[in-house]
Amino acid sequence: MARLRVVPVTAAKLGPRLLVAFAAALALLWVAPIAWMFTTGIKSAPEIFALPPTWIPQRPTLDHVHVVLTRWPFLRWTLNSVVVAGTTTVLSVLVSVPAAYAFSRLRWRGRDAIFLVFLSSMLIPLEVNVIPLYFLMNRLHLLNTYPAVFLPMIGMPIGIFLLRQFYINIPGELDDAARVDGCGNLRILWHVILPLSRPALAALVIYMFTFAWNEFFWSMIALSSPQMFTLPIGLRALQGAYDIDYGVLMAGAAMAVLPTLMLFLFLRGSIIRGITMTAHK
Amino acid sequence: MKRRYGRTVEIALFILPFAAFWILFRLGPVLYGFFISLYRWDPLGDAKFIGARNYLNLARDPRFWNALVNTLEFAAMAIPLIVGIGLVLALFIFAGRKRRVTTWLEAGFFFPYLLTVSVVGLIWRWLLDPDFGIVLLTLRDMGIDPPVFLNEPRWALPAIALATAWWLAGYRMLLFRAALEDIPDEFYEAARIDGASSPRVFFSIVLPLLRPAILFALVLTTISGFIVFGQVLIMTAGGPGRASEVLAMYLYRFGFEYLEMGQAAAVGTVLFLIILGLTMVSFRWLGYESSL
Repeated sequence: MARLRVVPVTAAKLGPRLLVAFAAALALLWVAPIAWMFTTGIKSAPEIFALPPTWIPQRPTLDHVHVVLTRWPFLRWTLNSVVVAGTTTVLSVLVSVPAAYAFSRLRWRGRDAIFLVFLSSMLIPLEVNVIPLYFLMNRLHLLNTYPAVFLPMIGMPIGIFLLRQFYINIPGELDDAARVDGCGNLRILWHVILPLSRPALAALVIYMFTFAWNEFFWSMIALSSPQMFTLPIGLRALQGAYDIDYGVLMAGAAMAVLPTLMLFLFLRGSIIRGITMTAHK
Repeated sequence: MKRRYGRTVEIALFILPFAAFWILFRLGPVLYGFFISLYRWDPLGDAKFIGARNYLNLARDPRFWNALVNTLEFAAMAIPLIVGIGLVLALFIFAGRKRRVTTWLEAGFFFPYLLTVSVVGLIWRWLLDPDFGIVLLTLRDMGIDPPVFLNEPRWALPAIALATAWWLAGYRMLLFRAALEDIPDEFYEAARIDGASSPRVFFSIVLPLLRPAILFALVLTTISGFIVFGQVLIMTAGGPGRASEVLAMYLYRFGFEYLEMGQAAAVGTVLFLIILGLTMVSFRWLGYESSL
């Protein structure tokens, strides 16, 4: 299918090759900070401050990695992040699926009004709520535990919004047929809707996992003991003690990024598709 | 009758798990936060109702106004940067979409979005280090005498805005690229037949059709602009002096360093109202045409 051609019109004048070459140069510049982080992490201390700076480490060393792993509970932070992000993702999918079903496949009075109320809360960032959340978690004796971090992320409206968008476009004949066969809503959801909505589920999983994996402000308030830190908070702690030790800081940051980078290289297509779906409106 | 009742229960059960989390941990805290903001909270646990005093204290505190102005300045720089760069990158990717290499370019532009804010902050602090930062060294090599970005009151916020644009523009790029793909080919073909120039096509066809996407990106980016915290904390800690202290940082310091929880909660309410107001303005301004 011939798709046209806004920029291509300009591009035709510029030459498409030139355009792509320019974009490629820009992309290189864009990822350069990440490359710089990785190389700094394996440079020796004097080389980090060598003038002129070197892009390729002359004598790569794992000293900084060693410091991060031995002086800090780095692996524990990673584990905490996996637990928090994993739980957030699983629970938000579990609560969003039936709600999205009720908001899209069932007809009832007040449905759209209630949905709009949920949806409008999408605009309330977690950040404005840190003080009341702190009081609430304190009262529930949950501060400095995993639930304190993941509970506020579960009822995010993006879950029902995304799934509902998808469910609405599934033809109604499918569940009508199932209903004639005597299926209840739960069976229709499980056997008809869920298998058809895998892309939307994947998108939600990717979105929630990255959101929870990266959450910073609230986690910093909710978690106080270094053993409980997630990676983002741990990295910040690293900075507190090693203000100027960029080798250690970059090694720690690089180690935190490495799993994300690996996953991204393998699942690039589906991650970008998943994120694009959350953006589609 | 009985059947109908059963159906209501069933619908309620489908929604209840989500609604419970939403009420307890989303709606609840907004109201609770407002309630807290009307009290003076003693760290030892006593609370005294003081009405609007916390808000009056805010209004009288020059430091609050400084934080508010800094936040507005940051938003005024970061929002156009993030949305603008996102749009330009999307046009590049869309233009080159028939070449395989562009999927890799897109991946490169998008990847920073997957980084956590502390990584972004640490990377840019290192890039902009006054003595050994590669950015300053490179600029000096090119014969430019750059400001020591993070240590200069005038440059700290712009530098943080730039780092934020690097971090967040990739997501807006995906958003715009998806919207560009949704524009039917016939529109361009018709414009072509009419002999429209490419800037004309861009401004008369593409831009209007991107309106819902631009609205969404603007709302999203406005929110991130007004709650900016992590980058600032790591890159400058609000400094030099208080040149980059933003509202979220003011909230954090008053709540958890000075233990003025009531006043911090008042800042939370102010932030909430600002975001609400700006969202409503942008809906009005760009038209309420999304599928909300």
